[in-house]
Amino acid sequence: MFAKIRELIEYRDLVRNLVGRDLKVRYKNSFLGFFWSLLNPLAMMVVFTVVFTIMLPNSALERFPVFVLCALLPWNFFSSSVMTSIHSIVGNAHLIKKVYFPREVLPLSTVLANLVNFLLALIVLFAMMFALRTPLTRWALLLPVIIFIQLIFTLGLAFFLSTVNVFYRDTAMIMDVAMLAWFFLTPVFYPITILPQYYPTLFGFSLDVQRLAYILNPMASLIASYRVILYHGVPPALDFLFRTLVTALAFLVGGYLVFLRYSRVFAEEL
Amino acid sequence: MGIALKFENVSKRFILHPQQPRSLQEMVIQTLKGNRSSKQELWALKDLTLEVQEGETLGIVGPNGAGKSTLLKLIARILDVTSGRIIVNGKVSALLELGTGFHPDLTGRENIFLNGSLLGLSRRDMLNKFDEIVEFAELEQFIDVPVKHYSSGMLIRLGFSIATNVEPDILLIDEVLAVGDQHFQAKCLARMEEIKERETTIIFVSHSLEMVRGLCNKAIWLDGGVLRATGEPERVADLYLQGVAGDERPLEEKRRWGTREVEIVNVRFLNSKGDKLSVFETGERMIARIEYEAHTKVERPVFGVAIYRNDGLQVNGPNTKASDFPIPWVEGKGQVDYVIDSLPLLVGTYRFSASVYDHHLFHAYDHHHLLYSFVVKRGEAAETHELFYIPSRWEHRQA
Repeated sequence: MFAKIRELIEYRDLVRNLVGRDLKVRYKNSFLGFFWSLLNPLAMMVVFTVVFTIMLPNSALERFPVFVLCALLPWNFFSSSVMTSIHSIVGNAHLIKKVYFPREVLPLSTVLANLVNFLLALIVLFAMMFALRTPLTRWALLLPVIIFIQLIFTLGLAFFLSTVNVFYRDTAMIMDVAMLAWFFLTPVFYPITILPQYYPTLFGFSLDVQRLAYILNPMASLIASYRVILYHGVPPALDFLFRTLVTALAFLVGGYLVFLRYSRVFAEEL
Repeated sequence: MGIALKFENVSKRFILHPQQPRSLQEMVIQTLKGNRSSKQELWALKDLTLEVQEGETLGIVGPNGAGKSTLLKLIARILDVTSGRIIVNGKVSALLELGTGFHPDLTGRENIFLNGSLLGLSRRDMLNKFDEIVEFAELEQFIDVPVKHYSSGMLIRLGFSIATNVEPDILLIDEVLAVGDQHFQAKCLARMEEIKERETTIIFVSHSLEMVRGLCNKAIWLDGGVLRATGEPERVADLYLQGVAGDERPLEEKRRWGTREVEIVNVRFLNSKGDKLSVFETGERMIARIEYEAHTKVERPVFGVAIYRNDGLQVNGPNTKASDFPIPWVEGKGQVDYVIDSLPLLVGTYRFSASVYDHHLFHAYDHHHLLYSFVVKRGEAAETHELFYIPSRWEHRQA
């Protein structure tokens, strides 16, 4: 595995070029080109502002657009990374059958291209926060750490799912639905506190739903962390963040090992 | 000189699933139907042991499906061995398909960097080689145009230029030199010679025995995944030609028809000395001898032959009636010779049909369609490529 990682470092220029290719191609034939990376989140924010301040004013939460966006942008980064990287192996079959290069470059560069878009969208978020007078506290400096943890988690999933999709093309279809369910299970549009704290079961136990939501869903932890440091401007629970990091690392190592195990036969299976 | 490449008892098996479930739905249906997908195995390479020295140019010949491409893909690490071991010393670059990985929406310049990094080169290396790549491909004017606007010739030139400029230790080439126009082909060959002089090890797969003879200093003949011969390119090429020609297939009924009042028992090819051969040289005398047996007396039969190039092009198709060589009757055994005094065909593999028909060419007694083959190798003639040697000369007058 370490030899593989060293090789990956040798191919870093390939990763860079593939990320560049993804970004260039995405906006190649559009009039506004690269500005869409900024315009897209901006337009989204306008929609949310209109919907949640005029059509459905949510009096319980102040600055609701900021509340939503500081969760929605990370979520979009996650979901578009997962959904595009699923196809990263199958979609590059012509390359895999003709050239040798470390295959992990493909999901990696797909996720990184999405990361670049996410970072651009964050600029818009900060502009929005400034406009709505949301003060940035020093806890916002933890943002890179949280993004890094999310990146690790996303990569693990990308490695795993892109491999499975080579053997079973249903994976992409299943994930379409799964991501929708996952979206609603993750507190993006609502604060986690609206979930019932305890839910009585048949056998007299009661489940701590809020706790469970975090334990079972690393994305919920990540989204909550973004919100805590940006929207609330207070320190996140560090032990909580650390646990999420450990989970993310486990996903990355597991996903990467699966990927390495099966990437040797990609050329035959495609 | 060290060893550039070593195969130790390498085998490669492909599992062919005729209907592999690619989705859960198919899997469930197949399980319900209870038909376990019958797996078929294909051994593309069997227990291959091979050694290539640094700086050698190895040519690989063999029929389609012999495992040549699999061999290259194993060296390039695109495929993984089933058993055995491959040792590769140095950086490998593969010319398996030119222009792999070009993105149509990116410009030539962007694609050069993308392709270079795909072959494992750093950006700095590519910056150094950039001008040379563009110059060799003759694309200075178009380098900032998206490659979707390139002609196929331009794409091939760019692909070849990138792949040969990365200065690998081992270069793999699969049949790609036969592309492009004459001018570029000549340039490619010159580039190959240059690469050879740099002591680069080259592994070269080709159907063109001429190129294997001309470029390589070692050759192997693969057939059905097994090494049939190895050694000097001249010797391997000759063995290969004889092997292909001596390939005596069983008479397939599909390719033989007729009522058999007169039966063609055998067809042999002879040279002027009467030796039975299957390899001839351009300009040599060649006799196709049809041995027949007539089970009853048959009047005015017409014997015919036809020569086809290996790709199916019919070269000729004479018969005794058209050539005004009437045969009054046949009964019992006999033979008919079709004599070519000076064989005009150039290097290649040719297939041969023989037949005997009634006088009106309406009723087939016996027709052997493409059941025989022979090979023409390079003779005294100056020309080698294409189809025919046409006796001719040049004249020149200054006005």
